[in-house]
Amino acid sequence: MTAAVAKREVARRRRAAHLPNERREAIAGLLFILPDTLGLFVFLGLPMILAIALSAFDVDGFGGYRFVGLGNYVRMTADPLFWSSLRVTLVFAAMAVPLLYVTGLSLALLVQRSSRFNTAMRFLFFAPQVVSLVVVGLVWQLMSVEKLGVLPRFAASLGFGGVSFLGDPSIALFTIVLAFVWFLMGFYMLIFIGGLQDIPREYYEAARMDGAGRRASFWHITLPLLKPTSFFVLIVSTVTAVAGQQAFDLVYVMTKGGPANSTLLLISYIYQQAFRYGAFGYAAAMATLLVVILMAITLIFFAATRGGRFQYD
Amino acid sequence: MTNELTGRPWSRRSFLKAGAGLGAVGLAGLPLAAARAESAAMNFMQFIGPGGPAKTQSDWIVQLVDAWNSAHDEKVSLEYVPDSEYIGGTKLSSSFASGAGPDVFLISPGDFLRYYNGGVLADLSPFIEPAARADFPETVIANRMVDGKIFGVPMEVEPMAFYYSVKAFEDAGLSEKDVPKTWDELLEIGKKLTTSDRYGVLFETAPGYYQNFTWYPFMWQGGGEFQDASGKSTFDSPATVSALKLWQDAVASGAAPRQALGGGGSDIVANLGSGYCAIQNMGIWGISDMANNAPDFKYGVFRLPVPTGGKYVTVGGGWAFVANARGRNPEAAGRFIAWALASMSPDSIQRVVDWCTVAKSDMPPRDSALKAGAAAFDKGELGVFTREIHPGTRAEPRLPPEVYKSISDAIQGAMLGGVDAAEAARIASQQIDGFLATYKGAPLL
Repeated sequence: MTAAVAKREVARRRRAAHLPNERREAIAGLLFILPDTLGLFVFLGLPMILAIALSAFDVDGFGGYRFVGLGNYVRMTADPLFWSSLRVTLVFAAMAVPLLYVTGLSLALLVQRSSRFNTAMRFLFFAPQVVSLVVVGLVWQLMSVEKLGVLPRFAASLGFGGVSFLGDPSIALFTIVLAFVWFLMGFYMLIFIGGLQDIPREYYEAARMDGAGRRASFWHITLPLLKPTSFFVLIVSTVTAVAGQQAFDLVYVMTKGGPANSTLLLISYIYQQAFRYGAFGYAAAMATLLVVILMAITLIFFAATRGGRFQYD
Repeated sequence: MTNELTGRPWSRRSFLKAGAGLGAVGLAGLPLAAARAESAAMNFMQFIGPGGPAKTQSDWIVQLVDAWNSAHDEKVSLEYVPDSEYIGGTKLSSSFASGAGPDVFLISPGDFLRYYNGGVLADLSPFIEPAARADFPETVIANRMVDGKIFGVPMEVEPMAFYYSVKAFEDAGLSEKDVPKTWDELLEIGKKLTTSDRYGVLFETAPGYYQNFTWYPFMWQGGGEFQDASGKSTFDSPATVSALKLWQDAVASGAAPRQALGGGGSDIVANLGSGYCAIQNMGIWGISDMANNAPDFKYGVFRLPVPTGGKYVTVGGGWAFVANARGRNPEAAGRFIAWALASMSPDSIQRVVDWCTVAKSDMPPRDSALKAGAAAFDKGELGVFTREIHPGTRAEPRLPPEVYKSISDAIQGAMLGGVDAAEAARIASQQIDGFLATYKGAPLL
């Protein structure tokens, strides 16, 4: 028995030893990435597949499932709150993404050079990132309180008295955008600093020798060479604005979707449907559509930049 | 790197073998964990304790469960979930969605239909003796009943009223006798009390169950109802429009804010206590909140003003113990609930008195408890509730989430969105009718 086992082991080792090195390396590589792949599949891939499947069911939240096919998607077309929250989401992204881009890049340009002062400023601009989003929301809520908050007082000093930054439907969303940008601008600043540091100094020196000013250097050297960074920032900030946890948390803490649904983002509405009303199937359908929208936006970005490749690559 | 057990260097193969071994051990442990869960005590999920934000309430629920566990074989274990994560968050709903709902839990009338229609509420009637059943006034127990069966035992009644700051009144040259008795007076005094850094009157501003709850009595006072006897929506009635307009006028006149401080309209310390407003629409629990957090603040309480030609009525909310019909032991859970809050034993009655007077400041849901704690219920501001406010209490309506949302949108639209009150009521009424046409569940109350 023992001799037979030993014989089989010897034969197996001999077979393994005959595998070409490339194949052995490939097997080893696959085995090393297997745990990560499994983790991604179990915690991301599988839930996504299940969510898509769930969108074809009417789910009561208590174990009851009824197949409705595309019923939940049809329901969306007649749901005014779905359209309203989709519009709010797109307006939010349309305001937040350019603001994040501009503030992130501006801050990076301001503090890109190495000095103690700039290091301290970088830390300060990045500081909101290390604070809990709930705390950020509460701080902005306090800053916005009518009559007492910093923002209404500042507005009053400019002659705009009686402004309600979170209670007026025409302003509340913009206030949340400000909080969102304030929270994330330090993160994008760091990314832009990385991009700026990749631009060779010689380009600027050559431009200066050719008589180019700061403005010309920015438009003709900095911005074009920042394209890969800009591409990354625009994609990530769009995804964050449309479906990110940051926007959800801020709305949840600051307005709960009010006043009058003016800050009800699609992701907040999905949450409401799932966890307040128990309509998990309908929520899954909206979440699926949100993913499709995000994929479409990303594809447009990729198409516009030929797959993220730029002329000088 | 060497393997310390064998002394040989770690090879890729031995590393993978060790990983597989650990995985196998982990998997082998799963049945053990499952078996342990099977034999565990009944799980009582709630937002009170142990370790909840209010020590008196936390102590009450811990003592309640200790007393049960010391005398019964079926044990109960408390699972504390912070309020924001309980019904307002994902914890309770996701536990049911995943088939792991608690055995005993708390719900308010606002959520009753969702859980009842979901088939997870156990009938508690068999465990409640007739005398105890009769001890709950119809106005308190009706919205926890379907077809004559009891599906929830209320632990409190929380009527809404107005609280006012004595100092703000004095600063404006007003006194207790000036408290508003009509809606017109409320708006007028609210404006009089409004200053550059203070609002005259505060209603809840954030959308949600609580805002709806606080608005209902204003609709009822003018004779408004959600639906008529045939089940058709009557939400677009003149009484509803007037109630929407009252809140709209309060905000438009500048007497009421568009945003509340702290935890919102139910947070009396952050709003009235901080001087942000002079009058606050608030429930009875404000008494204990003020006693615990702003004991030196001087305030008074008055009942909701009425519209011209209207009738006084307020709304009474409150949480109820319910048992999971699909739980591990619904029968034991039912016995536990009846023993805790709905038995004629002196302990059960006293427990209700303690909850409403020591742990919190509430009206009791039982006549016997009101009698047993008469002295406490007659003291101070609680006495004002007992004598003047609570007699006009109507139970919080139980509505499906879809109807609640339509009403919420109407309140938000009129109050803060600048939508004409009649138009907001009309849209909501249409939506409610649309929903009711296909609704199949327990009746709305």
